[in-house]
Amino acid sequence: MTGRERDMTEPPEYLSAHIQERVAAEAHELGIRVDVSGDVVRLRGEVVSEEQRREVEATARDAAGGREISNELHVVAVTEPDGEERLS
Amino acid sequence: MIHVAAAGDLHVGPETAGTYRAHLTGLAAHADVFLVAGDLTRHGTVEEGRVAAGELRDVGVPVVAVLGNHDYHSDAEDEIADVLRDAGVTVLEGDGTVLDCGGTRLGIAGGKGFGGGFEGRCASDFGEPEMKAFVGHTKDFAGRLRTALLDLDADMIVSLTHYAPAEGTLEGEPPEIYPFLGSYLLGEAIDASGADLAIHGHAHKGTEKGLTSGGVRVRNVALPVIQHAYALYRLDVPEGRVEGTAPRLGTITPNHIRSHT
Repeated sequence: MTGRERDMTEPPEYLSAHIQERVAAEAHELGIRVDVSGDVVRLRGEVVSEEQRREVEATARDAAGGREISNELHVVAVTEPDGEERLS
Repeated sequence: MIHVAAAGDLHVGPETAGTYRAHLTGLAAHADVFLVAGDLTRHGTVEEGRVAAGELRDVGVPVVAVLGNHDYHSDAEDEIADVLRDAGVTVLEGDGTVLDCGGTRLGIAGGKGFGGGFEGRCASDFGEPEMKAFVGHTKDFAGRLRTALLDLDADMIVSLTHYAPAEGTLEGEPPEIYPFLGSYLLGEAIDASGADLAIHGHAHKGTEKGLTSGGVRVRNVALPVIQHAYALYRLDVPEGRVEGTAPRLGTITPNHIRSHT
């Protein structure tokens, strides 16, 4: 240690990138948008299940250094299709 | 005519076993074939592969799948492919298959694919070995895809990949990550083969409909994009292309096939 090393949770861009990295590595979601604003970490995107929504939140919380998590992730509702596209 | 059901990015796991399958009960009534565009699992474990196999077993029509990047995450892609094959799923990895759909031969070739980006803003096979390996993986696959598509003796040809062959279906994704979502090299192979449709997944925030540069229709069937358990497409054999007889290339030359092919 030189004494010059700084806590790199600021600027927030690094923190959001690190949270995104953890979400990819641990919750295996690559398309989650993470925005850090003050003490709030905002999660946006789509996941395929409620379990996955919770797992992404838990991973982000673990990586967020005590910041509040605003979980705006949307669970994709999967139903049978209601039509067919004709390609000809 | 052929009715194609297609979906990608199922991301199943033990905790959701049976959920996806519950939405496939009506599939056989509407489709001749079910194409799965990769990312069947979340972490790429064999256990998840078994769940995926359970979801796709005996759905009432032939199931043809490719793997996605998630299915490679635990270095168990070969075992996952074997588990799927044991459940009757045809898993393509740079090869093709032909199915008889009520007298019309549907040829499907595909595989996972890879990234690199699109015309003018893409990675080059240059510099560090890591960069060459990245681009080389896509180039190798694109070469095999082209050969596999051209080798199909069928009335209608569909390309099935996980990564995107064109930019249009990525709209909605940040442009900065396009090079990780697909490659023009896949689109070029598809155009060279005169395919009728290109199915892919991977781009959860993208859009469903697009075209390759050569004019082949592209459909992004990632579940978050289609917002249903699968999408349904009807393919009509174009007039002049005689079902069950004519070789596809040579007798008919769709105007979108590039001159250098």
